[in-house]
Amino acid sequence: MKNRFTWDFLMTRYPAFFPLILLAISIIVNWILQPNMFDRETLNSNMRVFLPLVLVAVGQAVVLIGGGIDISVGGIVSIVNTILATRVGLDGSTELMWRYVLVSILVGLLAGAINGFFIAHLRLQPIITTYATSFLYGGLALFILPNPGGGIPASIAEIYRTTTPLKLPLSFFIIAIILLVWKYISSTRYGKYLFAVGGKADAAYETAVPVTSVQFSIYVISGLMAALAGIAITMLSGSGNAEIGSAITLNSITAVIIGGNSFSGGIGGVTGPVMGAITLSIIQNIISFAHINTWWETLVKATIIVIALAAPGIINLLRRSGP
Amino acid sequence: MRRFHLSPPVAALILAVILFILSGLLPNGFGSNLDIARSQATNIVRLAVFLGVIAAGQTLVIISGFEGIDLSAGSVVTLTAILTYVYVNGQDDKVLAALLISFAVGAIIGLINGIGVTFLKISPFVMTLGMSGVVTGAIIVVNHGNVSGKVAPIMTRIIARPISQAIPIPGAIVIWVIFGVLMWLLLERTTFGKNLFAIGVNRVTATLSGVNVTGMNLATYTLAGALAGFGGFLLVGNTGVVLIQLGQPYLFPSIAAVAVGGTLLSGGKGSYWGSMAGAIVLTLITSLLTTMQMPDSVRRMVLGATLLVLISIYGRQRGLRQ
Amino acid sequence: MAKSLSARNIIKRYGGVEALSDGNLDVHTGEVVALVGANGSGKSTMSKVINGVVVLDGGQLFLDDKPVQLSSPQSAKKLGIATVFQELSLIPQMTVAENIWLTREPMTAYGTVNRKEIDKKTNELLSLFQGTYKTDIHPHDPVASLPADEKQIIEILKAISVDPWLIILDEATASLDSRQVTRLFDLVKHWKEAGKAIVFVSHRMEEIFRIADNYSVLRNGKTVGSGKMSDINEKDLVKLMIEKESVFSFSRTGSKKPDKADKPMCLEVDGLHTTTLKGISFRVREGELVGIGGLRGQGQRDLLLSLYGAKPHSGKIKINGKESKFNHPRQAMKKGLALVPGDRAREGLLYIRSILENLLLPSWKKYGFPLKIAKAKHDAGKIAESLNLKMAGLNEPVSSLSGGNAQKVVIGKWLMRQPSLLLLNDPTKGVDVGTKAEFYSLLTNLCNEGKTILFYSSDDEELIGLCDRVLVLHDGIIRTELSGETLTKENLIAASLGISNGGAL
Repeated sequence: MKNRFTWDFLMTRYPAFFPLILLAISIIVNWILQPNMFDRETLNSNMRVFLPLVLVAVGQAVVLIGGGIDISVGGIVSIVNTILATRVGLDGSTELMWRYVLVSILVGLLAGAINGFFIAHLRLQPIITTYATSFLYGGLALFILPNPGGGIPASIAEIYRTTTPLKLPLSFFIIAIILLVWKYISSTRYGKYLFAVGGKADAAYETAVPVTSVQFSIYVISGLMAALAGIAITMLSGSGNAEIGSAITLNSITAVIIGGNSFSGGIGGVTGPVMGAITLSIIQNIISFAHINTWWETLVKATIIVIALAAPGIINLLRRSGP
Repeated sequence: MRRFHLSPPVAALILAVILFILSGLLPNGFGSNLDIARSQATNIVRLAVFLGVIAAGQTLVIISGFEGIDLSAGSVVTLTAILTYVYVNGQDDKVLAALLISFAVGAIIGLINGIGVTFLKISPFVMTLGMSGVVTGAIIVVNHGNVSGKVAPIMTRIIARPISQAIPIPGAIVIWVIFGVLMWLLLERTTFGKNLFAIGVNRVTATLSGVNVTGMNLATYTLAGALAGFGGFLLVGNTGVVLIQLGQPYLFPSIAAVAVGGTLLSGGKGSYWGSMAGAIVLTLITSLLTTMQMPDSVRRMVLGATLLVLISIYGRQRGLRQ
Repeated sequence: MAKSLSARNIIKRYGGVEALSDGNLDVHTGEVVALVGANGSGKSTMSKVINGVVVLDGGQLFLDDKPVQLSSPQSAKKLGIATVFQELSLIPQMTVAENIWLTREPMTAYGTVNRKEIDKKTNELLSLFQGTYKTDIHPHDPVASLPADEKQIIEILKAISVDPWLIILDEATASLDSRQVTRLFDLVKHWKEAGKAIVFVSHRMEEIFRIADNYSVLRNGKTVGSGKMSDINEKDLVKLMIEKESVFSFSRTGSKKPDKADKPMCLEVDGLHTTTLKGISFRVREGELVGIGGLRGQGQRDLLLSLYGAKPHSGKIKINGKESKFNHPRQAMKKGLALVPGDRAREGLLYIRSILENLLLPSWKKYGFPLKIAKAKHDAGKIAESLNLKMAGLNEPVSSLSGGNAQKVVIGKWLMRQPSLLLLNDPTKGVDVGTKAEFYSLLTNLCNEGKTILFYSSDDEELIGLCDRVLVLHDGIIRTELSGETLTKENLIAASLGISNGGAL
């Protein structure tokens, strides 16, 4: 009886509890397959690959908490990538790069604001709205860069790859900053508004919460995170491709759900989704290190993800039918 | 006083007709040649059939509510298309069995979705997304990238060709109309349909009124899978070839078709007529943009913008202030 | 400082329907104004007008005789007007403290919510209703985990936490038990003395006469009368609310109840246990109308749901002499049971679907394949007519109906199945007097036809007036059974509070 209470307590009070278990398991499996996983160089190269998905998942997590969904994030990532690859170029100056990083962030905010305007102000359904804008953004990226090519100077990409303050990967610090910022935001009034709007929008409205502004803001945040992810992914690859963001949208949603947030909104956090995103990325790692036949990769990966998604439900079922 | 009210399926159809007429005025449009206009219209509807059939299962799960959606539909279409292609291998007498296999395989995948959603409480979006990955993975494993097979002549004759010289309507359209009537019967004239709307609106009320919500949920996802399987069978009959990505391009358009047809994405309200009209509108826009020889980038942007305009017209949710 | 708020000639339309055509209200500090009217008369709309939730189509609000615009709940709150909503305005996933202080959280210097301060202030508010909670409420409890009455209390605390000068209590007592109502009324008296104004919206006459100083009556969207409570009696007030002289004589006490001792047993319950029920045993004969009383949340809801197979339970249940174990309402329905649940919006109706589909929901199977819609429509029409359902048509959505008429749909869908045992969970909650009277005669008639009814009500008068016997639940057991001579208001209240005086057990 006491045991049961503890499990329920952990599951409801700490939504990041289960993702933490998943993360721990996947890290252990990865470590067994890749003994040098915690070497400075390996850790750095892994983390910088993980970062774009983590960033998008953070934005997606905020959107889900606020009761929405954003399937245009991949498009925004692609736009940012094509802007940087075409405007900065392989032999652009550092100054030019920073200028377009700024432009990219503004573009992300603007794209998010467009989503937010249609959803919050015109009250359209989020899934179909962001689906429509994903075509707009994806099309725009393809318009900017019809064929893969271009890029950013190798020296700048190198900064992202080799900067390791305190011998820790740069990505590590970025994630830490994000988690701290979230910790702060979730205890501010805006944080309360976010959960209130996602939980029950009309009740929040009656309580004088500025519902429309909050709904608008979550898409702007998501746009910003997608732009940052676009910058990271460009720094990582060094080149441009209009389809670079297409896989990241659905992955970010899976990461957020594995991270313990729910589609119904008003619950969860950002820590769980960050762990969810890292777990997803590690699963990819495990598959490449486990020397699985290439033909089997997709199936194995998808099966692991489905099992990870099903695990809390299966545990609940077993516990209910148990003594 | 009753305000004039245009139902979404009708609005979508009117829009399709207007777009079609406007397309005739384009430089390479049909102009004043009615024969070409008719054959173009027939062709667009024929192309819409496949999207329309794939959108049928989507309509059911979306009406069933509770964030219902089927993201595995695209991969199921690919799977049953490949199965049909390989199994039939050009032989007419294996077509019926292939049809049944398509239904059954789709139904099994749908049932797994249903189990995940109903018993394991996984949100439909990620459950069906995960299944989509599993099915795609399974296809890769089984095929190892190359497929050998052939569709049967009878399939091409029934699905892709006109029914006769005198009636220049492709069989696919006839099948779709019959299919539409069956879907209407299912939704509006069976207990299943009535209960489906009920669980889409309020599951507590439905349970307390004796509806077996668990069974309904399983049945809905199973049926949606089976219908996607049927979609794959039809599609391969039309294309005659298979690709590993055959069904995926239909996935999100099938959801868009449902939304354009006026079905509430939150569940409990909608019709298959709407989804049919939505499929025609989307196919029309796509083919218009292709005829106009727009680059892919512009096509995507126009499609996105059109969708936004359409849902802005009648997809708005109730306001907070009354 | 004395303040006042007046509404003059308010007009509000929803679609084509006029909810208010000439609404008027005056309220001053230091008084309690009762806003009364039948269901659909515009009471809720009127309280929404004062709170700034709705956009006016005509008329004017005056604050201290100066015209004001209330463009949103925010602006109403800034002017010191707070509303306790009938439909809860709480966010279930958030905690008690977060809900009460939402938008007004005490902040630290760093812009974060001051946790210590918010907990302290929440505990201060919670102490106002100390002793009426089932278990102590902690500021960090999620609202979703609280029972309905305690949610309503949190709603009240949330409204007064603003320290408003005007408080609107919109059906705030509907889900409270008598102890909680008494506590609330003590508080209302205290607020009044402290110079606050209160608008009290309720269907319960007894409460209105207990607490209000003035009244204002709405009928069909028009204010048809107002004045001092001391100048009017219950009968005249009801007369104002309903156009025609109403059939308010629902009491069966006058007529001789037929003896049912020789009828066969319809329902036998032995040792029923659930998470809240601790061993319930009783018997009901065919044709009996048995009441279930007691304070709210003593297991009445669980009892009805268990009998209906909608709640896991242990114990023996016999229906018409045969042992029955239901795991799903479907099985209970097949044996002739029907349940009218306590929350018609969340448990009884499909709001956006048509009246027709709501009436037929449990009965579709009867109509074969393909469904014989014409016959279904005919049957539904007959039931609607017999219930005197006021509607624009069977194809209109249920959301277009007023509360009383919506409740008729819930009852109507079961009458279509001709059930032999009806389980009713507070069916007259939030229903206007006219419709209540119709229900009373309907229930009496059903019993006379040989149907058996198990009837929970939060209204003691109803139980005493209608029922053959009343089982009083307290803390998960049947504390007392009252019937005949012992069925009096004093005994009922005493038993509800767990004091056994004069009970017949």
